[in-house]
Amino acid sequence: MREAMADVLSGKSEPGESGLGKSENYPIRRVVVVGGGSAGWIAAARIAARNADPEGEPGHDRVAVVLVESPTEPSIGVGEGTWPTMRNTLAKVRLSETDFIRSADAVFKQGARFVGWTWGGDDAYYHPLNPPVGAGEVNLSPHWEERAATAPSGEDFAHSVDFQGALCDAGLAPKAITHPEFAGLANYAYHLDAGKFATLLRDHAVGRLGVRHVVGDVVSADRTAAGDIQALRLADGTVIEGDLFVDCTGFKGVLIDRVYGVPLKSCRQYLFADKALALQIPYAVEDAPIACHTVATAQAAGWIWDIGLWSRRGVGHVYSSAHTSADQAEAALRAYAGPGAEGLPVRSIDINAGHRETFWINNCVAVGLSAGFIEPLEASALMLIELSMDTIADRLPATRRAMDPIARQFNADFHHHWARVIEFLKLHYILTRRQEPFWQDNLDAATVPGELAERLELWRHHAPCAADFTRHREVFSWPSYQYVLHGMGFPTQYAGHPTLGPERKAATRLFARAAAQRSDAMARLPPHRSLIRAIRQHGLQRL
Amino acid sequence: MTRYRPLDPVRHGTVQMRPTADAHALRYAWVGLSEIPLAAADFPLCFAKDGETGRFNLVALLSLDQPRNLYWRDGGWRCTYLPEAVMAEGFRLDAAAALGLLIDEDSDRFAAPGQPLFGTDGRPTAAVEAMRGRLRRLVADLNAAHDMVDGFVQLDLVRALEVVLRLPNGAEHEVGGLYTLSPSALAELPDPVVVDLFRKGHLSAATLIAASVNQMERLLQLRGVDPGDGGAQTSMFAWWSVPPARKARESGGRAAPGGILHAL
Repeated sequence: MREAMADVLSGKSEPGESGLGKSENYPIRRVVVVGGGSAGWIAAARIAARNADPEGEPGHDRVAVVLVESPTEPSIGVGEGTWPTMRNTLAKVRLSETDFIRSADAVFKQGARFVGWTWGGDDAYYHPLNPPVGAGEVNLSPHWEERAATAPSGEDFAHSVDFQGALCDAGLAPKAITHPEFAGLANYAYHLDAGKFATLLRDHAVGRLGVRHVVGDVVSADRTAAGDIQALRLADGTVIEGDLFVDCTGFKGVLIDRVYGVPLKSCRQYLFADKALALQIPYAVEDAPIACHTVATAQAAGWIWDIGLWSRRGVGHVYSSAHTSADQAEAALRAYAGPGAEGLPVRSIDINAGHRETFWINNCVAVGLSAGFIEPLEASALMLIELSMDTIADRLPATRRAMDPIARQFNADFHHHWARVIEFLKLHYILTRRQEPFWQDNLDAATVPGELAERLELWRHHAPCAADFTRHREVFSWPSYQYVLHGMGFPTQYAGHPTLGPERKAATRLFARAAAQRSDAMARLPPHRSLIRAIRQHGLQRL
Repeated sequence: MTRYRPLDPVRHGTVQMRPTADAHALRYAWVGLSEIPLAAADFPLCFAKDGETGRFNLVALLSLDQPRNLYWRDGGWRCTYLPEAVMAEGFRLDAAAALGLLIDEDSDRFAAPGQPLFGTDGRPTAAVEAMRGRLRRLVADLNAAHDMVDGFVQLDLVRALEVVLRLPNGAEHEVGGLYTLSPSALAELPDPVVVDLFRKGHLSAATLIAASVNQMERLLQLRGVDPGDGGAQTSMFAWWSVPPARKARESGGRAAPGGILHAL
């Protein structure tokens, strides 16, 4: 069945106009996005907002953006946690933060709290979104280790070098009602309802950004002799021509897989989770506090996410089916969720962890789950979509000839990003002292990417720093590694290093600054739910 | 702290009211639409966000870096115009109250010697009647100012006002949270919008508000002669500017650490 469909889709069964029509080079003016989930609508909105400005000068070329959505395929809708990058994305598509918060049930996220990952008890640490105070001036990691050794304050790394953990502890928001849209006292991202978010983006993209929305199932693709897609044929006979095709069709990969047959490169050898069970739980009382961070609680064979939205919580159990059964996993999830979840349905999601061997092939680029999927431990799904669009929308190839070098850069970038994401996720599993088979299997050296093992050896002696990372834009950089390494009690030997002496005074000042910032922020910032309520009622100012 | 209760002849029969409350620490006062020409002769008129709603209020700025009213000296106001909101301090309208008013029992405005609120017969005095009328006019006038400012925001005319004080010891102090109108954005408004603003009386208000920023000099002078500053007043100066529109997304105010996750 699949092969037959692939033949049709790839054009083998009906050569059609292959090899005819377009000349070798032509301007890119028609972009076709396939898929109507978060990825598809982010892609369409970003490209349209950047390249089809309705207020632009008449006579200038504008790109026409079409989004084709299947009437039958439900969107996966698992991406409920974002990165701070989402603030940029929203601003770039000209959505107001107020509208976003109201329409997508969104709330603020200031990082993640990892519970039980080291010892399996109530041990916990934060990976906040603020970098350590004085980042770029003094690397506080070794100084924190020295202070902890000489004058144990009981304060963990995250709380010593930044105030965001204290805000999360106290349930305070990262900003106040007097802050402008997209700005705050602390760095922040969002938790959102993926379905409502896609609807908001759709209405905005179609109503305000001029994206054409076509509902129909793609049944075949017309291709040139060189392999480019010229047009998509829909079940009702509609033909959608385009110069660039963005595949946002989720796990199916209607173009990247079924037309081009680009295989998935599995990362199951590093990350064992292959299943997730998800639950949506209403708040017990209307005014219940909303956590301003994701809570990730380790389990015997995986971990449970807990994400607070305006009207409900989303919880889910990510687990390895080789280490526990579906029934056991559901029982663990229900035990975590408590009586409030009694009788509520659980949704099962397969995690085929991995990514495409090529993301951009010919004139087709995969974005979102069609490009790859990995457990949502650090909320990388929406971020990778945004990062893809930073290239595709902001650097839309001017011509077909310009597309190949951009595609090569894009592929190299995303191989790099995926490798870093996999390594950083794996890091969470290999510093554990837990004894269950799932965790012990994670410690097997054969399951640790080589580069990560090498870096870990380095980081026993030197604190992670910017020089450890080669790219100007790294998805996870040294602050993230410091938060996890120190959060999980990684044994380091930084104290007494000869380079620390000249920095000690500055480090002392920075620790004091972090404490002062904490007092100031704790006094000025409101409880999370009351801020969201005020924003829903009054809105945020643009400035 | 405030403690508002319905005005009541039994409870408040002997209460007296002074012309204003002690305002030595007042940082700003709300200003209604009709007050703009008079208030602009004394104060810088700016916009400041309401702490509960984030909405812009039109305010007369009374202080700079410290919570000290620079128009208050020797126990009284020193200005040619007093905002109505100052005159109404200590009272609130409340339709549910028998006399239509609440009073703040903790306000130091209610002290002798002053005007009595009730006569010996227990009936409210003319001062109470006048206060009710004043508050009604004030609420309507503040709402009119609110609506006007909302319109300015919609037209993208409002900008953050950057005010930096250089203190005698060389330290710089940024006075934050103030907003004003951008003269250049006003100048670029399309003709039909200008006519519409003119007909609503908002164009002259906008011009006065924009021009009143120059009263910052006066605040500075008043601060310079303020004995609370400990002298050395002459070397202090300030600058202010109305920067062009910009997207305020660089929250956190941290040095860029390089990574995407922590970069915003």
